Amino acid sequence: MSHPQDLSLVQQAAAIASGEIDPREVLDATLDRIRERDPALRSVPVVFPEESREMLDGAPRGPLHGVPIGVKDMFRLPWRGPRDGTAREQLPPGESAVYRRLHEAGAVIVGVTNMHFWGGGSTGHVSAYGPVGNPWDPARCGGGSSGGSAAAVGARMIAGAVGVDGGGSIRLPAAYCGITGLKFTYGRIPLQGYTHEFASMDAAGPMCRDAADARLLGEVLAGAPIPAGGPSALRIGIVRDPFWTDLDPEVQRACEDALEVSGWTLQEMEITGAEHAQIAAVARLTLEGLQTIDADALADADPIMRALVKYEKLLPAELLVRADLIRARIRRALLGAFERCDAIAWPTVPAPAPAIEAPVVELPSGQHPADAPNVRQSGFGNLAGVPGISVPVGLHSTGVPIGLQLQAAWGRESVLLDAAEHLERVTERAYVDALPPVAGAPA
Amino acid sequence: MDAFEGFVRAGLDLRGIPADESDVAVMRAADAVYGPAIRRLLDADLAGAMPEVGLDPSGPPRELREA
Repeated sequence: MSHPQDLSLVQQAAAIASGEIDPREVLDATLDRIRERDPALRSVPVVFPEESREMLDGAPRGPLHGVPIGVKDMFRLPWRGPRDGTAREQLPPGESAVYRRLHEAGAVIVGVTNMHFWGGGSTGHVSAYGPVGNPWDPARCGGGSSGGSAAAVGARMIAGAVGVDGGGSIRLPAAYCGITGLKFTYGRIPLQGYTHEFASMDAAGPMCRDAADARLLGEVLAGAPIPAGGPSALRIGIVRDPFWTDLDPEVQRACEDALEVSGWTLQEMEITGAEHAQIAAVARLTLEGLQTIDADALADADPIMRALVKYEKLLPAELLVRADLIRARIRRALLGAFERCDAIAWPTVPAPAPAIEAPVVELPSGQHPADAPNVRQSGFGNLAGVPGISVPVGLHSTGVPIGLQLQAAWGRESVLLDAAEHLERVTERAYVDALPPVAGAPA
Repeated sequence: MDAFEGFVRAGLDLRGIPADESDVAVMRAADAVYGPAIRRLLDADLAGAMPEVGLDPSGPPRELREA
């Protein structure tokens, strides 16, 4: 029989429920695989076999009974306080809402996943646990801030992980690692017991190999069904400026090809305020987080993060006021846009995962630190509060994946998951089933 | 010391926050990346842009939900 982590999340749940496989064997095999594959990636830096076995012993017969799940290191667990990519506990141990949802579903939390320091970057190369590697090329970034969740799923160490997305932190690493990442509508998954519970931009979500797995884990996290089977003929809004400009040519082509084979009706549109979305998102995201960083935390911080916080402390208050005006403009414009289309689409990231050694991307306009162009593609959805998904749609000539992002109106996660399943069908699952070298595919 | 360094050192000093050479170098790099977009937003004509009262990002703006 194949290794349980070569099965999808849906298949693992079904095989355990039917008695075909023993969940204790699944847990042991998962821990073995993490030990075997993770040293190159640093995606699951902390496992806790004893607590995982206790969780399994007390697991109810829910939809994820006995299935191992990874959780980003931002949520309180009864035996561990989250560290947020730092060396220090940020909250005491306890029961976060995400822990309770997973426990009630019978899931087994097998480890915490690595992340960018304070959640403050899209590359994942700054963390107290070391940089997160990419399963397609461990010398490249796994992404951030939920990079550990993405890399662990991409490397087939676990089939599902929980991420959080305040400026693209689910969608961006999902694209880098070739998995399906769904940022839910703001507030739909409760964030009690989360290190940034105060944030107005953050939403949790599932990070899985494909849309069916993301639907299953997403239903557990949201505590509600996400019915499948909506219409496959969608109207897709294409917002050229700024989201289809200054892209790596291969990324642009792969995303355009995916939309072409989808058969969906494409409709060009403009969204007022989109031209300032990147900086409005950066301002809102960073400034609302500053109040949590005290002098001790600043002194202990990674030197780059410490200097960035100092820069943020000098930004004028007027910037935040204007950022919120842009946010209001975008949210009003989006309501009208979603009367004319079912979803909007653009590349999740403008360029493939950069090297850990030098996390910069090459774009037609020149070389840029990856964060700024990445947040240009993702911060828009956080300002708006709408759900967004990244779906793998290609492989770049550098050997790492390419993701297409779709966003729908508030509460319309079902549209996104249906759309992702449609893309999987029309691409014959070529990209969701592709195996990275670390998972045994030929390099 | 150029204008940028003078600004960041004086601003941080007012807050009692120290800054060393490497802090200034990282801040200068951050300003090269984000400064132009910050200044564009600060200069943008937002006359007529109305703030959203009672922001609730879980749905569309409240004033339009009823419409």
